[in-house]
Amino acid sequence: MRYLLRRFGHAVFLLVGVSLLAFTFTTLAPGNYFDEMRLNPQIAPETIAALRTQYELDRPLPIRYAHWVSSVLHGDMGFSFAYNSPVLPLLWVRARNTLLLTITAMLLAWGIALPLGIWSAEHLGRLPDRLLSLGTAALMVIPDLALALGFLVIAVKSGRFPTGGMVSLHFESLAFPGKLGDLFLHMALPITALVLSVLPLLLRHVRAALAEVLDAPFLLAAEGHGISRRTLLYRYALPAAANPLISLFGFSIGTLLSGSLLVEVVMSWPGLGPFLLEAILARDLYVVIGGVLLSTLFLIGGNFLADLLLYWADPRIRTEASV
Amino acid sequence: MKTTSANRLSRRVFSSLLFALVALFTQPISALPRQKNSKEELLVLPGETGRSGGRLVVSLRAEPKTLNPLIALDVSSREVIGVMQADLVHINRATQLTEPALAKSWKISPDGLQYTLVLRRGLKFSDGSPLDADDVLFTFRVYLDEKVHAPQRDLLIFDGKPISVRKVDAQTLVFQLPKPYGVAERMFDGWAILSRHLLEKPYEEGKIGQVGTLTTPAKEWAGLGPFRLKEYVAGQRLVLERNPYYWKTDTKGNRLPYLDELVFLFVPNADAQVLRFQSGETDMISRLSAENFSVLSRDQKEYTMVDAGPGLEYNFFFFNLSDPGEKTPAEIVQKQKWFREGKFRRAVSAAVDREAIVRLVYQGRGTALWGLVTPGNRRWRDEKLPHPARSLEEARSLLKEAGFSWDTASNGESTLRDSTGKPVEFSIIAQSSSSERSKMAAVIQDDLKQLGMRVQVVPLESRSLLDRVTQTKEYDACVLGAASYDADPNSDINVWLSSGGLHLWNPSQAHPATPWEAEIDRLFNEQMYARTFEQRKNLYDRAQEILREYQPMIFLASPDILAGAKKSVGNFRPAVLEPYVLWNVEQLYLKNDAVNATR
Repeated sequence: MRYLLRRFGHAVFLLVGVSLLAFTFTTLAPGNYFDEMRLNPQIAPETIAALRTQYELDRPLPIRYAHWVSSVLHGDMGFSFAYNSPVLPLLWVRARNTLLLTITAMLLAWGIALPLGIWSAEHLGRLPDRLLSLGTAALMVIPDLALALGFLVIAVKSGRFPTGGMVSLHFESLAFPGKLGDLFLHMALPITALVLSVLPLLLRHVRAALAEVLDAPFLLAAEGHGISRRTLLYRYALPAAANPLISLFGFSIGTLLSGSLLVEVVMSWPGLGPFLLEAILARDLYVVIGGVLLSTLFLIGGNFLADLLLYWADPRIRTEASV
Repeated sequence: MKTTSANRLSRRVFSSLLFALVALFTQPISALPRQKNSKEELLVLPGETGRSGGRLVVSLRAEPKTLNPLIALDVSSREVIGVMQADLVHINRATQLTEPALAKSWKISPDGLQYTLVLRRGLKFSDGSPLDADDVLFTFRVYLDEKVHAPQRDLLIFDGKPISVRKVDAQTLVFQLPKPYGVAERMFDGWAILSRHLLEKPYEEGKIGQVGTLTTPAKEWAGLGPFRLKEYVAGQRLVLERNPYYWKTDTKGNRLPYLDELVFLFVPNADAQVLRFQSGETDMISRLSAENFSVLSRDQKEYTMVDAGPGLEYNFFFFNLSDPGEKTPAEIVQKQKWFREGKFRRAVSAAVDREAIVRLVYQGRGTALWGLVTPGNRRWRDEKLPHPARSLEEARSLLKEAGFSWDTASNGESTLRDSTGKPVEFSIIAQSSSSERSKMAAVIQDDLKQLGMRVQVVPLESRSLLDRVTQTKEYDACVLGAASYDADPNSDINVWLSSGGLHLWNPSQAHPATPWEAEIDRLFNEQMYARTFEQRKNLYDRAQEILREYQPMIFLASPDILAGAKKSVGNFRPAVLEPYVLWNVEQLYLKNDAVNATR
């Protein structure tokens, strides 16, 4: 329990730190949301000044931060200048779409990385393993952006996949299986891009972790007892190699989240990516901070989950915690 | 800013007059009220008769932020609001002239101070509630209320005094101006008339800025435009449906609009918009770059691509002529000595290869510019303005006269030096988000190298650039662009007047810094209140000539308005004024098979 509380304390500390940094950096960036209005000949400078005052942009940073923190404590993440409405609902509808994409991609990536990595470790140094290593190395050097663009080209050339968006226009008129199919078709390319961007890293770690354990004497003994290869690998070797992999699981959530922001922009997926990008360029201060905080929250959530798994998988941590 | 507001208004009045004249001569005024029944006075639109039904899909580069016309600022919101709302008098985007809209007629008093507008009978908002003079009174009360912060409010203030509105009867309103205004009835364009029964309560509660968000239930929002709200899916799309109470018909008496639904898809970048159009997911596309236009033009089987000619966007280059403040780096103050020299600026202008810019940046789909008024603005363009070809000789002789000299290094590169022997070096800032303007800066860099000037191009993110130009004033020179929202000169008032925020080379001056800026101020203010087009045109031409003589802005080029639509879209006629393809949305229709296909 103390272990969990300590983790929770870390999370809160991290959130405060991130919010402070996000606040400072977005404010330090030159220009503000109302600058573009200056280029609009229809708007008087007095109107712009009045708006700045209304949104407290002319107040000193610490005061604005204090106001913002107090509003967050009241469950309100601030106000979007552009949308003229509270930030949280705006972020939440888009965050759901981002989560749908990243969680599916994560499950898929681990689903592929575990068996493939184990298989590769088993055949360590042989031709299939070498080919796989070569493949992952190649994938690793291709930037996410190039992957996403490549898939877009495929979508356009083949005409089989939509070139962006989350659902078709006639989505509402479809029956449930049709809806699912439509969503799947739209998700296919962004998910593939995401999975391919994170897969090489996972694969290599799984392979390395397993390869280390496979030489361990207890496994040789187990093999000598006539335990089947399959049971040996998944029942005994994998749990022994699990610790670094579980830590990697938390980390992979972060990688996928940041990767997904980019893929979303390129593939016009209606998630946090395009929304945050627009807000950053427009200096929509509280949307940017809210978005950063929400991403941090997801990241912390992922790591927390990893910690829980670790707690469950590794008896040493449990003992340490209960002391 | 008082004079500024007044100026803006007179600009609008004048341009409206001009537009009215242009319309008279170019084509018959398209809309004549016709009595359909005793209660309804509908507007009949001439032109190709279409088929009813179907759904048209277009993409928006950014999500609209609001449906509330009182607070909307961004392009996407304005585009959406444009098809959901209507104004009293409307500027036809194709003829650039005014035509009757919610007001079936108007009369201007001989002294130019009183405008009497008569509303159409039987008008209804999209929720079926009737419109009368009280709604119009309410609308202008809200726009004029300082607490509402409506960005357009300034256009209703003349010399510090607001316009006043009085109701004569349920159909008739009198607008009283404190001063005659050259723009005339053009000033009524763009003021969405609001529904009193929907908005009076939020207004009284001081919450009018918070209504009309995109998540507003469809039942709680209404306008007088051809379409009304149906559904909004955050981050994905906005679906509008036909307004059954719309007040226009075609010549056969069919009530417009033809389309059942208009869908805006949110597609976050220009290339993705092109992809969506290519794959057939959207029916129309506009705001195309020349590159994308030529890609789409290569395969025209399924769609029609149209180059509507030069729009009202003008791109220009300017030096920092602002008064140095305490914080201005000494280096910039030093360079400003060159920039303030008229001959130096004229030499730079003579050395810039505008045709190369049109060719390289716009692939030939643009026009070289020597003044602020683009060829797209047919009535206000000063035909007498010279268009000198590029001349390095002239540039060199101007620099020599101004005391500059050259020395040649051993590698054959010549360096331009001022009278004190300092080499002429400066940087040009350009928006990194606009590849066009970055390219222009690169062309200028190359052109000026031939004069021995050493120029660096510094791409900056949009808002950082604006911050430098309008606030900190820490820059040497800048490439920027602007687009007039209307053809009337008054839409650029903040560029012309020395007190204006867009007088970019030296913005928001308390007093004109130079005699020629004072003269431009005088000419511009005078044209605002002049009563005839000829008077206004003469004054405006003179102002353009002064700008050309002193070159505080070195004009470069104007891009063409490029658009495309599927062959199945009828009445597709892009205009050079915004909204380029949706200005006649009520007349757009889907030809035969397309209607069946979407059903």
